[in-house]
Amino acid sequence: MAELAIRAQGLTRTFETVRALDDLNIEVPAGSVFGFLGPNGAGKTTTIRLLLGLIEPTSGSAQVLGFDTRSQGAEIRARTGALLEHSGLYERLSAEDNLRFYGRVAHMPKAELDQRIQELLTHLGLWDRRKEAVVKWSRGMKQKLAIARPLLHRPGLVFLDEPTAGLDPVAAASLRDDLAALAARQGATIFLTTHNMAEAEKLCSLVAVIRQGKLLAVGSPADLRSRGGGQRTEITGRGFSDAMLAMLNQQPGVSQALLENGRLVLVLKEGEGVAPFISLIVREGGEVQEVRSGQGSLEDVFLTLMEEEK
Amino acid sequence: MTDFVTVLWKEWKEIVMERSAGSTGSYRPLIAIAVFGIFFPFRMGPERFFSVVGLLPPTFFGAIVITAVIADSFAGERERHTLETLLASRLSDRSILFGKIAACMAYGWVISIASILIGGITVNAVNWHGQISIFHDAASWLLLLLGPPLVGCAIAAAGVLVSLHSTTVRQAQQTLSVAFMVVVVGAIFASGALPADWKAWFARILFTWSEADLVLGAAGVFLIIDLVLLAAGMARFQRARLVLD
Repeated sequence: MAELAIRAQGLTRTFETVRALDDLNIEVPAGSVFGFLGPNGAGKTTTIRLLLGLIEPTSGSAQVLGFDTRSQGAEIRARTGALLEHSGLYERLSAEDNLRFYGRVAHMPKAELDQRIQELLTHLGLWDRRKEAVVKWSRGMKQKLAIARPLLHRPGLVFLDEPTAGLDPVAAASLRDDLAALAARQGATIFLTTHNMAEAEKLCSLVAVIRQGKLLAVGSPADLRSRGGGQRTEITGRGFSDAMLAMLNQQPGVSQALLENGRLVLVLKEGEGVAPFISLIVREGGEVQEVRSGQGSLEDVFLTLMEEEK
Repeated sequence: MTDFVTVLWKEWKEIVMERSAGSTGSYRPLIAIAVFGIFFPFRMGPERFFSVVGLLPPTFFGAIVITAVIADSFAGERERHTLETLLASRLSDRSILFGKIAACMAYGWVISIASILIGGITVNAVNWHGQISIFHDAASWLLLLLGPPLVGCAIAAAGVLVSLHSTTVRQAQQTLSVAFMVVVVGAIFASGALPADWKAWFARILFTWSEADLVLGAAGVFLIIDLVLLAAGMARFQRARLVLD
């Protein structure tokens, strides 16, 4: 069995009457990139806080890098890096001073710290502007620096809470590439929370989906795609009415029917063929011009899971 | 100890960068140093300046300066969303708390000492008689040594408690300023309302103790205040509580 970086058993956290996390059971193998997916308020940030030992669970337990989160939080925090909800950068300070501070916090020797700062800032294309106060930087540059910070001391486990949130698509894609390259080079376990499915699909070897504190599914992106029914059919044509959508959504073989950019999208349950539904659409007055079938994306699976749990 | 120094280093850099950022606030310490280091000493002359009375304004001004930086250090860390990242590091609660307090106290101390040094130069320059005048009594030296750290620590520790209950830097600074005024004005009114035998007891102390004894007595009172406020600050500055705030 692979060595585990994180193991949570029945992890639960309640805030007054709200159950932010409900009986979470996950195992994250060391060296993997683990995607923790869920909509806003699903319990992702609470999970990270619990795993870092910043707050105590109401019940259940978790071990991170072999340390118990309830009693050994300091040991966990010393061996991990975390980019939380906000970048956590000191904007009055320069990029170099921001990294130097956290390097000193991690007790890195000066020569190693100097070399590591140069390596990271050069890799991210920020070296020439290292002396500038971060407040003068663009959001994308700040976010790159924010990602460099938790990787600085080469921790065995890095928590990244929505690292590309708020970035434009180009900056987000560039940051994803940087993150993938840094993760591969460093060989660390990465615990990544996101609601960006493309990001999860690109970066993660293992994915968990959470909603309202409850774990809905865990597996590799490929597993989840196949488990979620998998087959997505896009039908181009005319006459796709709301009544037809409602009728299709009531069919037992259909996980979801919706209109996307004028096309009718059917997500079919496992083992279902598309032909009977095409006949049905034609019978109901729809005009079918083109049918394209393929495996559903992680986003389809995610949306299906969200729908099922409503 | 290493972690304490690391936090102090970061806080000191932040204070210096904030105070030299070119905002109107960044010039206030210079204006104040000019007032306490040039204007007052010029008016006081050497006899009053090189005495306990002459040392009181720069000592208390240094402490007032701390109200601004301590609020920025604690309430500002939360307002700028950097606190949780700091708490997610290996730093202990105490090294964060004391590193921040020490940096703010050091800033107040630098302002006090700069005012006193410039004041000394001003007084000597204006009243030059061929010899350098300096503080010549034990009470002055004791106040110079003990005043800024003890008064500064009380203000800083009170600032921690206020800042941790404030949502913004501005709110923390305003609350601290009002609290400072209330304490000063309240002490003046309270002294007038004291029972006669208490007043007699205070008068006896004031007129029978030497200046050095009075400074040491006041230092003792401030030390107790410091310890009580620091203990309250340590009880309040708890990681889990701060994260959920």
